[in-house]
Amino acid sequence: MKLTALRLHNVRRFAGTGVRIENIGDGINVLCAANEHGKSTCFDALHALFFQPHTGTPGSVQALRPYSGGNPLVEADLTTADGAFRLTKQFYGGRRAQVRERDSGRLIAQADEAERFISALVKGGISGPAGLLWVRQGVTGIERRAKAEDETERRARETVLTSVQGEVEALTGGRRMTEALAACEEELLRLVTATGRPKTGGPYASAIDESEQLAEQERRLGAEVADLRAALDRRRTIRVRLAEIDTPEMARERQAALAEAEAELSAAKAQAESLKAAESKAALALNRRVSAEQALSGFRQALARFASLRDAEAGAAQERDAARARHQGAAGVVREAATAVESAEREEREQRDLLARLERALRAQEAARRLATARDSEREAQATREQIERMEATLKSLILPAGKIAELEEIDGQLLQLQARAEARAPHLRIDYAAGAEGGISIAGVMLAQAEERPLAGTTQIEIAAIGRLTVTAPQAEEDDRSLARAKAKRKTLLDELQVDSLAAARQREVQARDLKADLDLARRRLQLFAPGGLAALQEQIARLEAEAASADEVPADLDAASRQLGTVEARVGAVREAARAAQARTETSASALVEAERHAAGLSSALAALAESLGPETQWRGREERLAAEHAETNLAWRAAQRQVEELAARRIDLAAAEARQLRLRSVMDAAREEITRLREEAAGLDGRIQTRTETAIEEAWQETRDRLAQAQRRTAVLAREVAILTRLRGALEAARSQARDHYFAPVLQELCPLLGLLFDDASVTFDEDTLLPRSVLRNGLDEQVGVLSGGMREQLAILTRLAFARLLAKGGQPTPVILDDALVYSDDDRIEKMFDALHRQASAQQVIVFSCRQRAFARLGGRVLRMEPWQPEH
Amino acid sequence: MVRFLHSADLHLGKPFGSMPDELRGRLREARHTVLDRLAAQARTAAAETILLAGDVFDTETPSPAVLRQALAAMAGHDGVRWILLPGNHDSLAAEALWAGLATSRPANVVLATEPAPVRLADDVVLLPAPCTTRRPGRDLTEWLDGAATPPGTIRIGFAHGAVQSFSEDGGAGDVIAPDRATRAGLDYLALGDWHGQMRIGPRTWYSGAPEPDRFKHDASGRALLVTIPAAGTEPVVEPIETGSFDWRTLVLDCLAGDEPGAHLAALLPAGPARRQTLLRILATGRTRPPARARLEADIKAIAPEFALLQLEAQELVTECESEDLDQIDHAGALRQAADMLLAESRDDGRSSGEREVAREALMRLFSYCATAS
Repeated sequence: MKLTALRLHNVRRFAGTGVRIENIGDGINVLCAANEHGKSTCFDALHALFFQPHTGTPGSVQALRPYSGGNPLVEADLTTADGAFRLTKQFYGGRRAQVRERDSGRLIAQADEAERFISALVKGGISGPAGLLWVRQGVTGIERRAKAEDETERRARETVLTSVQGEVEALTGGRRMTEALAACEEELLRLVTATGRPKTGGPYASAIDESEQLAEQERRLGAEVADLRAALDRRRTIRVRLAEIDTPEMARERQAALAEAEAELSAAKAQAESLKAAESKAALALNRRVSAEQALSGFRQALARFASLRDAEAGAAQERDAARARHQGAAGVVREAATAVESAEREEREQRDLLARLERALRAQEAARRLATARDSEREAQATREQIERMEATLKSLILPAGKIAELEEIDGQLLQLQARAEARAPHLRIDYAAGAEGGISIAGVMLAQAEERPLAGTTQIEIAAIGRLTVTAPQAEEDDRSLARAKAKRKTLLDELQVDSLAAARQREVQARDLKADLDLARRRLQLFAPGGLAALQEQIARLEAEAASADEVPADLDAASRQLGTVEARVGAVREAARAAQARTETSASALVEAERHAAGLSSALAALAESLGPETQWRGREERLAAEHAETNLAWRAAQRQVEELAARRIDLAAAEARQLRLRSVMDAAREEITRLREEAAGLDGRIQTRTETAIEEAWQETRDRLAQAQRRTAVLAREVAILTRLRGALEAARSQARDHYFAPVLQELCPLLGLLFDDASVTFDEDTLLPRSVLRNGLDEQVGVLSGGMREQLAILTRLAFARLLAKGGQPTPVILDDALVYSDDDRIEKMFDALHRQASAQQVIVFSCRQRAFARLGGRVLRMEPWQPEH
Repeated sequence: MVRFLHSADLHLGKPFGSMPDELRGRLREARHTVLDRLAAQARTAAAETILLAGDVFDTETPSPAVLRQALAAMAGHDGVRWILLPGNHDSLAAEALWAGLATSRPANVVLATEPAPVRLADDVVLLPAPCTTRRPGRDLTEWLDGAATPPGTIRIGFAHGAVQSFSEDGGAGDVIAPDRATRAGLDYLALGDWHGQMRIGPRTWYSGAPEPDRFKHDASGRALLVTIPAAGTEPVVEPIETGSFDWRTLVLDCLAGDEPGAHLAALLPAGPARRQTLLRILATGRTRPPARARLEADIKAIAPEFALLQLEAQELVTECESEDLDQIDHAGALRQAADMLLAESRDDGRSSGEREVAREALMRLFSYCATAS
């Protein structure tokens, strides 16, 4: 959208007159006029045209009206992507809103439709900012606000962030949003905590608490009412019951029935007594009869038993005698068997002794034979041992210590070496005789042969025949002599030690020793052969064999025959022993049979004796039996008589148990009635008390009241819960919308803003944090300053730049929007204003910017199209 | 000729626990003083007898203060005879109550606690059917059919209970036969239980409560002045005013675009009567947010003038149009939030509860923005 013209009539100071601004073009347009020329009036009128419905008269419309009254008329021409239009609005009298095609003048929309048309122009979609971007003198937002509020606002926007954010929010519903959110939050936090729980002490929590308390109270009172009603019902039941049982007639009736039953019971009891007496008499008679019967039959049985016992005793005695005879026979056999065993065993012993003696004689014979051999061996061994001892002594003298020969060899070698060396050093004498003079020279009497060489040592006297004696003294090589002497001495010592005269002798001795040693080994092996366990063992063996050979005192006889004899004797011993054992077993059986027979016989005898004792003399047996029979008959008669009497009494008997039961029943009925009456009276008294208490406290009334209150409290709780839900939902919606708007605009605007900032503050740059969108620092003159309080100038510049950034954003979105500035740069210095101009021009290349200003001089440098206000009268 | 006052359902001692404290006291007091107003009306009409057809007391165990003060008030009106019938709230099951009344009643109080004729005058017999329990389960007036009286005697039936069953479980056992007056040859059947005054037949009436206690009947408290010229002639029945508080329900039918507040002002009672009025405004129909907000504000403003004033607006549908949303904001995040809530309130995919919450949230946002601008 672009504005091309603005006309107004009857607006504020233009009472009855009008003014117009035509030819507003692309890019920068400047309307510079001194104060009170109607600049701000134009601005306000334009604002009203776009944002105030023609039907209303809010403060901002009232402010357009001249003091003298009248109907303000505002008209603007504009072009959009759809064409060129003329908007007209008149307020108060003749209020109207019209949209016409500018060129044809054709009416496109009026009244509400026109308003909708205008709305569509200034609304960037449902969530976009207003289509016109405004900045007023010293104000950073477009809202109307109180002075005090402005102050608060200023303080609140002391950082770049809040400034920019404020701009964004101003265009995205910010301040009212904040207020609405704050109001919502405040109401909500009165009810619940930040986490959504009912707030302690708040109305919601109180209502919940009250509901709970009342519910508890209601429950308690309800229980009490139920209790009261139960008590009432119970008492009524008790009264009915008491009326039934607690009457004099009932009591009398119960008493009479009981008396009758008791009389019957005592009659029955008397009868029962006499029956009992008769019964015990009969029982006694029966007892007597039984004992008489027992006595009689006992006596008869004793007699029968006596007879049979006597027979048995006689039989037992015979049996016993037979057993005794059998036993004695068996004992005889045993004795004979024992004798036979004894003799057989004796014979066996003798035979054994004989056999042993024969064997001993045989062993002595053998020992004597081995003794001769052993003695021969001993002699040999003794001789060999002596030989060994001798050889060992010899060997000891012959043997040389190990290594001595080698030592001797070495010394001999050294000696020879020394002598050879001495000889080589000594001067040599040689004579080559002239012919004829041979043998003319001798030394110490020995003639020197032709061409003989002789070493000279020490002083040598050479006799030269026919000439004289020549003495030659050779210097002694002392060193050699001393070594030689030392070696000789050492050799001498060694030879002495070995007791030999030379190395050869030593070696010979060594050979002798080796031969002797071989012989010694042979001798030792021979000794081993004769006495394998050593000589002592051999001697011991000899001693033993001697003793053994000497022990035989019998002539060896036929050993086999003796052995066979012993076998026969042993067999006989076995046979007789077995016979003896069998006889023993038999005698044991017969002994026990004898004991049993004796015991049986004795038992019968004693039983017979005892029975005879109890029966008394046999002569009286008959008389006694007759007496007992008579007694039995008599007792039998007595018993029958008593029995008959019992039967007679029993036939007439009254049922005592029934009488007793009846009496008990009637008594219990009476007791129960009495008990029940007492109990019911007591219970009724208790209930009276309970009912009285409850009644006096008007419990039902209290219950009813509590129920009403509970219902009320629950309603209130529900209302508050709903309130919480509503506020929570509202807060959610507001926060969601706000954060969405921020996401939508804040970052993109910042992005647009940064290059503009660079343009304005070429000596400074503001850095924003990409993540938090917070300004980090201001870099100025190479100094990194913390972002702190900004000057008023900086703030207004930021406000303008923010709008320009917005405009860029909108233009990029295919929605070009004019930016309108009304004395927007009052705090800025000239230098800064120029930079702002640059920014504006840069912006204006794709953007319509309309600047209202009173700073004619300063803005002369801005350039751009200069707008003028001209008088105007509407056509109608 | 006999003339008497017929009333019932005084419910003395009713607690009104759901009312604000100050009003509760006044309502209870009004129940007590209705005895005086009844007596005054009886005296004015030269009626000697006041029949109280049940539920004189609200509970079976009224507090001693309620009981004693009621008896004292009755005793205070010498020339008037009070005849009390046990109702369902104060049935004969409340032994203590009736025993207490029997011992401490003043001479001018008669207790109709037996289903037996009570002679009111030489030729006038009262035939009471006292409630034996809270729910007797049978028509207690049945005995009236066979109750013999000398010829020419004016027969007055006296009972408490419904003539029509509203229960769905077929428990119609304790419904009083609507034609009992005809069947039992009664000249008049004085009924209690229904709190609104109601004529069942020419000879059968519910007197209604003399002092109303709920919004249900939407009428002021009344009693009946009954004149029976002679046995067999139709009685003359005149309603008389006895109430002190008015319980009214006012249906406010709103139209979208209407100004319900103005509409309401015309319906409200005059200034001084408001103190004695409990008013329930039942808003129905449709409205727009500003009108709704104004209505609420109006009601809030005048509420203190009334004993009780409550707005029930569950039936009132508040509709939002985009111009209403313009009052919140033309665009921007605030408008977006409003649009979101509006869409949510119209979203059939959501539960009605959620829609309602969204609608209310929008109303709230509206009110914030209205106060902010």
